Amino acid sequence: MSWLRRIFFRRHLYNDLSDEIREHLEERIEELAAGGMSRKEASYTARREFGNVTLVEEDSRAVWRWPSIENFFMDVRYGLRMLRKNAGFTAVAVITLALGISANTTIFSVVNGVLLRPLPYRDPSRLVVVSLFNQKTQEIFPLCDADFLDWRAQNQVFSDVAAFSGTTFNITGSGLPEQVRGGVVTGEFFSTLGVMPVLGRTFLASEDRPGSAPMAVLSYNLWQNRYGADPSVIGHAIVLNGSSTTVIGVMPPRFLPTAETQLWTNLVVKPPTFRGPYYLSGEARLKPGATIEQARGELAAIARRIEQQNPATNSNMSFRVTPLEEAIVGDVRPALLVLLGAVAFVLLIASANVANLLLARATVREREIAIRTALGASRARLMGQLLTESLLLAVIGGVLGLLFAKWGVKLLSELGPSNLPRLEEIAIDGRVLAFTFLISFASGIFFGIVPAFPSGRSDLNKSLKESGRSAEEGQGRGRARSVLVVAEIALSLVLLVGGGLMLKSFLRLQAVSPGVNPKNALTMQITLPRFQYHGDSQVISFYQHLLEKVQILPGVESAGVGMSLPPNLLEVTDYFTVEGQAAVSERMLGLADLVFASPNYFQALGVPLLKGRLFSAADRADAAKVAIINLTLARHYWPNENPIGKRLRTGGPERPNNPWMEVVGVVGDINYSGLDAAPEMVLYEPYQQAAWSSMYLVVRTSSKLDNPATLASAVQNAVWSLDKDLPVAHIRTMEQLLSESVEQPRFRTVLLEIFALIAVSLATVGIYGVLAYSVSQRRHEIGIRMAIGARRSDVLWLVVGQGMLLTFIGVAIGVTGAFVLTRFLSTLLYEVRPTDPATFVVVPLLLAGVALLACYIPAWRAMRVDPMVSLRHE
Amino acid sequence: MKSPEQRDLFPGALEMMILRTLKRQPLHGYALAQHIKRTSNDLLQIEEGSLYPALQRLLKEELVKAEWGISSTNRRVRIYKLTAAGAKHLQQEVSRFEKMLDGITRVLAPGES
Repeated sequence: MSWLRRIFFRRHLYNDLSDEIREHLEERIEELAAGGMSRKEASYTARREFGNVTLVEEDSRAVWRWPSIENFFMDVRYGLRMLRKNAGFTAVAVITLALGISANTTIFSVVNGVLLRPLPYRDPSRLVVVSLFNQKTQEIFPLCDADFLDWRAQNQVFSDVAAFSGTTFNITGSGLPEQVRGGVVTGEFFSTLGVMPVLGRTFLASEDRPGSAPMAVLSYNLWQNRYGADPSVIGHAIVLNGSSTTVIGVMPPRFLPTAETQLWTNLVVKPPTFRGPYYLSGEARLKPGATIEQARGELAAIARRIEQQNPATNSNMSFRVTPLEEAIVGDVRPALLVLLGAVAFVLLIASANVANLLLARATVREREIAIRTALGASRARLMGQLLTESLLLAVIGGVLGLLFAKWGVKLLSELGPSNLPRLEEIAIDGRVLAFTFLISFASGIFFGIVPAFPSGRSDLNKSLKESGRSAEEGQGRGRARSVLVVAEIALSLVLLVGGGLMLKSFLRLQAVSPGVNPKNALTMQITLPRFQYHGDSQVISFYQHLLEKVQILPGVESAGVGMSLPPNLLEVTDYFTVEGQAAVSERMLGLADLVFASPNYFQALGVPLLKGRLFSAADRADAAKVAIINLTLARHYWPNENPIGKRLRTGGPERPNNPWMEVVGVVGDINYSGLDAAPEMVLYEPYQQAAWSSMYLVVRTSSKLDNPATLASAVQNAVWSLDKDLPVAHIRTMEQLLSESVEQPRFRTVLLEIFALIAVSLATVGIYGVLAYSVSQRRHEIGIRMAIGARRSDVLWLVVGQGMLLTFIGVAIGVTGAFVLTRFLSTLLYEVRPTDPATFVVVPLLLAGVALLACYIPAWRAMRVDPMVSLRHE
Repeated sequence: MKSPEQRDLFPGALEMMILRTLKRQPLHGYALAQHIKRTSNDLLQIEEGSLYPALQRLLKEELVKAEWGISSTNRRVRIYKLTAAGAKHLQQEVSRFEKMLDGITRVLAPGES
């Protein structure tokens, strides 16, 4: 008989077996009866001699089976039946689990996409990013052309070296004018990363040398969206910033960590005459066998040589070598890991809650289990069955959680901060699925094992005798429930403290004064193509005409242009020299945010003038050179003097021909490097004396206008009336800019608050459940207490006291845990210490308050116990 | 799960006794039980029921085969017969058992102390 046939014909075998055993008993009974026994007595004797019929049949059938697997399937079938029968219990448990599992899956898919998946480059661990940094102040700067050329020529540790800089391009010609973010890159940019184009070719190493023709490599997105995925675009010229550029290749999708960069052109590096401007990021691939430490040592030596040759600009300057991966995701790693920890806590709490539910049910099921034991089920078999039921719950919870997570991931990638690196790579992949399966399984084991143990030890006789009435809760099980609740409270307290700290930090960040009046201000960016507007006078005259046109639009109060915008759209920084103080600070030139601005820029932003005057129309190119400084710069260089009338100029001794500018005004501080940055020195120059082709337009609208954005199209039309090919980009109200600048902190704060709330709700349900259950179990005892004279308030305190004791133990453990764990938040907090005393006092009180509420409902119910009813109930 | 015969006898003992009994003549379950009980002089505490899982194991390994028939007392019974493989297996098992018994006896034997 083949094993397959056996399985199909088993039913037949089993029937034979049952018949056979019945005949056997029958024969024995007849024989005994023939010997003079009564039929009843004979039947007893026959069965006693035979043994446990059910067990024998089961054992005999087991011979034909694959017992472990088939028992498992039997348990699954039985478990499903049980879960269906207790639909309410199942729903609560499954939803609790699904919540925890979906939160974990969602956050893990982010961690997986952003931190774990290797970057889509060849051998990404060999790639590094190089920047300048000041060893004294620890500030980090971009490189200048000269740094890059020195470093490229002198290093021995890198096999490929490249540099790149972000910029904006106006694409004109076919279709609507469009401004896109792009990069100018040196010849080996793509080959360093080791990524092949999907179409055409990338730049050659020689194509960053002077004399190279302008060429462009398109991103996949741009190729799809603007050029309709037309392969014939290769070899064709497109118009970038007014100049004709030949398209040579298309990169694969998701080539760069942010979707912003749309195209690349070749950067032509001319041998520089001085060090600056600083605008490049270096990128390199380590030679096989070379370590990052060797690279650091070698670049430090190169930096020392440069420093000796250029003491004015490069004192204390060294190169900073960072692994590419670190440079891309290093900033978000702490936040993501904190979130991952937080969701792990949520899942632990959810599992504890389900364990509590199962414990309560285990008491109810005591009789069922006793009967099964009496019928011959072994303890291992029962444990297996209970665990199977828990795992079933976990699997159903996991599947539902996965569905939730799919939705969560979609939501995150839509609502997540757009500047989160690798946002597009977040998806539920095999690794995420494996993770979900693992945590579902682990939580199933966790909450299944707790209730399964006490039932293994249950006293058979006692359970069977206590027919009908539910068994008194065993000591061990009661303790297990209390421990679970204490753990839930402790875990949720840790989360709540973390959430409290993040919230406080975020509120502080938002309360930072940006130095401007954010209401009724509309901003946008305009970039004039160099080829059309090649002279300074053309640029100046364009903006002059634009401001005249915008100024007279209805609803506009004032309009100005400036190179940079608060709170974090800083475009350029430069060194400057203060007249008379230059000698003193020769080895440490001042570094300021450099902003070219029109007279009304300050009014339109609402920056206060503190001393002197603002720019005026009279500050023309041919007039005396003037400058406005911010309060920080004024205080730094003229702490006890009036800065008005003093002179300064950009650059150090290497640029002796830069003209001196007279300080004519001091304005209030504005953040240009983010709300959380320390105040920086800012130097303003009139736009008519220092032309810049890419400017932000700031329009202050009438306060009667509800939303300044309604003026956007009128302003856009004003731009197009001057130049119909000019794209208008980044249209935002100042309030939007402020809000976008704190996108990442807001994102992680909101997520952590959500997780903390889920945790607290689950823990509250946990406390409530334990107390409600305990009250229902102690109904009889409470009845007796009341019958012998206990007052209602005594009963109230009896229950509340029990709940609050658990709460206080949980809070004490939680506070200790939070004290240890919140240090991991320190890099994410702004002006809040991880051990902020206020948070550590308020949050536990809050949690205790919520717990008190959860205790009160069962206590109130206990108080209303009618002694007569509950005693008669016995 | 522990079965009674495993607790009281060594594994395979019951099967060996069944095969030995069936070698003499084909029998049905009840007669087999009675025979083993009787010949062992009730020294072996065997529950009659424990015979059946053992019989199923032998059936599965095709050491015995079973057929429904009518007994001498005119009952419908399932009669077990030894197969050729069963006879061979019995021989091996018995010689193995005898060796083991011999060993145990030597160790237990009093004398040369």
